[in-house]
Amino acid sequence: MSRAVEQTPANRFIDPKVLIKIQNLELVARTVVEGFVQGLHRSPYMGFSVDFASYRQYQPGDEIRRIDWNVFSRSDRLYIKLYEGETNTRVLVLLDVSGSMNYGSGEIKKIDYARILAACLTYFAHHQRDGVGLLTFDTDIRVHVPSSRRRGQLLTILSEIDRIQPSEQTEFRKPLRFLAEYLTRRGLIVLISDLYDEPDNIIAGLKALRAKGNDIIVFHIMDNFELTFPFEDMAQFEDMETKRKLHVIPEYLRKQYLMILNEHMERIRKELSGTRIDYCLMDTSKPLDMGLFTYLAARSKSV
Amino acid sequence: MSFLNPYLLFGSLALAVPVLIHLVRREKSEIIPFSSLMFLLKVPKRSIRQQKIKNLLLMALRLLILALLVGAFARPYMTQPANPVANANSNRGVVLLLDTSYSMRYGNNFDKLKSEAQRRIDSLRAGDRMALIAFNENASLVSRPTSDKNALKAALDTVEPSFEATRFYEAFALADRVLGEFAGDQRQLVIISDFQRNGWNRSSRESVIATDVKTETVNLAVKDWTNVGIDSVSVDQTSFTRTYSGRLIARVHNYSKDRPVEVPLSVTLNDKEVGRKPVTVSANSTALAEFTGFDLPLGFSKGRVRIDAQDPLKVDNEFLFVIERREKLKVLVVDAGKPKQSLYLRQAYTSTAELPFEVTIVTGSAVTPEEVGKHEVVIINDVPRLPDKVREKMDELRKTGQGQLIILGENAEIAWWNTYAKLPVKAIQRIFVPKDRGRPSVSLTTYDQNHSIFKPFKTSTRVALNSAQFFAYVNVEAKPGAAVLAKYEDGSAVIVESANADHGLLVFNSTLDSRWNDLPLKPSFLPLFHEIVRYLSRYNESRGWYALGEGIPVTAGLESVAAAVIDPKNERQTLGNLTAGQTKFFTPSLPGFHEIRVGPDTRMVAVNPPASEGNLDSMPPEDLLASVQRTQGESQRAGIFGNEEKDEYARRQMGWWYLLLIAFLACMAEIYIANRAYKTT
Repeated sequence: MSRAVEQTPANRFIDPKVLIKIQNLELVARTVVEGFVQGLHRSPYMGFSVDFASYRQYQPGDEIRRIDWNVFSRSDRLYIKLYEGETNTRVLVLLDVSGSMNYGSGEIKKIDYARILAACLTYFAHHQRDGVGLLTFDTDIRVHVPSSRRRGQLLTILSEIDRIQPSEQTEFRKPLRFLAEYLTRRGLIVLISDLYDEPDNIIAGLKALRAKGNDIIVFHIMDNFELTFPFEDMAQFEDMETKRKLHVIPEYLRKQYLMILNEHMERIRKELSGTRIDYCLMDTSKPLDMGLFTYLAARSKSV
Repeated sequence: MSFLNPYLLFGSLALAVPVLIHLVRREKSEIIPFSSLMFLLKVPKRSIRQQKIKNLLLMALRLLILALLVGAFARPYMTQPANPVANANSNRGVVLLLDTSYSMRYGNNFDKLKSEAQRRIDSLRAGDRMALIAFNENASLVSRPTSDKNALKAALDTVEPSFEATRFYEAFALADRVLGEFAGDQRQLVIISDFQRNGWNRSSRESVIATDVKTETVNLAVKDWTNVGIDSVSVDQTSFTRTYSGRLIARVHNYSKDRPVEVPLSVTLNDKEVGRKPVTVSANSTALAEFTGFDLPLGFSKGRVRIDAQDPLKVDNEFLFVIERREKLKVLVVDAGKPKQSLYLRQAYTSTAELPFEVTIVTGSAVTPEEVGKHEVVIINDVPRLPDKVREKMDELRKTGQGQLIILGENAEIAWWNTYAKLPVKAIQRIFVPKDRGRPSVSLTTYDQNHSIFKPFKTSTRVALNSAQFFAYVNVEAKPGAAVLAKYEDGSAVIVESANADHGLLVFNSTLDSRWNDLPLKPSFLPLFHEIVRYLSRYNESRGWYALGEGIPVTAGLESVAAAVIDPKNERQTLGNLTAGQTKFFTPSLPGFHEIRVGPDTRMVAVNPPASEGNLDSMPPEDLLASVQRTQGESQRAGIFGNEEKDEYARRQMGWWYLLLIAFLACMAEIYIANRAYKTT
């Protein structure tokens, strides 16, 4: 993974090992949205497209321009050509760049992990000829690259990901409300965050997006230390977002901390599964590719 | 409350250690950046507070245990008796210390002392008891503890200022004994004094006054005092000439710290002025005045040095001394008539006019018993033999105090001298050292250092007896009872003294003409033979004056005699019978001329008040009290408690036991709480 980071900025996050595993799978959007560019995603709708599907007899009401006149000249019957609607989905990666994402107990910080994950997904989606967009946020929207299939889109997004500097607190309500208003087309929204906000804010925003027909995947990025709280000695813990300090004797607080954390995660998981939003907890101490593989395998089965 | 081992309280600094560790660790506690405190902040405060309280309780318990241990080891005790109220209501036992040293003669100090003492007696309540102690150089109980005010006042009337110096310690020691009689009472000690600094010797005195004695001081010290006095007079007590040829030096001390004085100083002898001169003394300094050349009558002369100073302390303005003019010691030298045989002896005794010796030389054949009887010391200088009558006369005269030195040398007929039964030695043979001993000479190496004839060699290293070489001598053997005073290096005797029963006979076994030895040419010759004659004549120089309080030796001669002292008030004080050679010490209580009568002999001594008392510089009474009053710790170490007191003090010191008990309970509590906290975590 570190070798990948040392590559050129544009594609530095694409770990070949990750890609090898992911390329064996197909990223299939659960929801087929309307599209007009050929892609790998099979559309349940017939429509204006380039791939021929079959013929059917003309029925009154059909558009005359869709009659295959060559067939008519040979058979003197009116048939209408049906094309397989191959559409692109629009994938929008929502990347949390709040200060808490800068935390990392080991070699890798959560933000690095999230970057790689975002890059992988972006690359992967781009490879599938999906329109890819990026939105980074903390308390507000920091960078917004609208989804597009343009040739240079991947590089644009990757370079934006590369420039990310975590700083502020997390605030889900505002960016999600913005998205709910802004996104007019349905698509796949991938939220990569440590979800350090009140569950109500997170869930309310995601539900609004889900209600508009978007498919949503939530990657919950957590450091292993956050999940296990293995600290021993008394210390001052400094909030990386608010810079607030707190004297903590870990041995006294560990139990209660883990209980509250688990409650938080459990509630999010429950609420999201209730609205058919996928939730995947990613432990930064675990290999990234394993996480993606597990998730996409499950995803592919579900389609 | 106080502590027996207060230094151990420094151990309580250990209490700061856990607190310091807490603070230091708090200051340096690691700052761990953490993604968000969102969940940590949601941890209920109550549980944190509970934990904090538990921790604080644990810490407080541990600090308490530490403090209790430190306290227990410091051995706390109650300074107040268990029943102070009862004591407050009890009767008082007061000891009044009255300073009667001669410094109290300054101005009207002594009147003030008496009126203050009177006031104290008047202020006694019914049931109170008081004792009076007068102190100067010594302390004496003037009145035993009594409640009778009239008796106390009568006793106070007998108290007069003395001529003695101040010594506080003895006064406090006696006061402590008297205070011991006031058991159960509220004990009080009142000191009325001018608190002269000289009265307190600060070196290593143990404290004597008990801790519970309430002390009070009445300071009569005069602030701007002034005093000029005569410190001392240096005078040769004995003169052998009509005109006093020594020096009489009087030292005048101006104790004033800022004012120089000029005082006329006069010297009188037997009430006749023999010298007068003004003396200028700068502030806090001394000046000397020197006199000489005045005539002396035979016998003792009473001398006075006086200054006409206008200071309120008159006692030290006069200084007494005594000079005795004596006839010279008559020494008879009997020799064999050989040329230069007695040359060195004569020179030794008559080289200067100041020497107290008068020498007559005769030959052994010409000497008569009458001639021998006229002298105080007879030296038989190596004669072959003596007429029998002379020898018998000498035996007789020794009993009356005559001293005799017999020198046995080359002329002495050994056989004849061996027939002399009283001779303390038996002569054996003449020894010529090179021939008989195989060496060039022998030296006098061993001598009795405690004998008075060797006094100059004991005190000075300039003259040494072993520098003389002896080439020949008469080998002698000391008879039983005789004392060998000096020996040659080969162990044979040089000087032998007769037994005590036949006191006053010495034998020297080599010649004094430089033929058999070179002793007469050595510096040790003169002092040795001067001291021998002084010893044989029992010539004893006494001092010109003594200070009051000093012991004056009174020594009997050869016979048992009665001794007595006539003091300046012409009162006779007998010293009892003195056996031959016995010395008694007489301590005068008054300054002035004392006549000491030992049998038919009479001598005069002058006694002066101690000069140190003239310095009226005072010390803060608090300093003095701090030095003499015991602390609790000292009291305990000294073990100066009665049984009841011991129990009381033991009770007061039980604190450590309780502290250890509480510490033990606190330990139990700590273990319980710590275990519970551990299990909870």
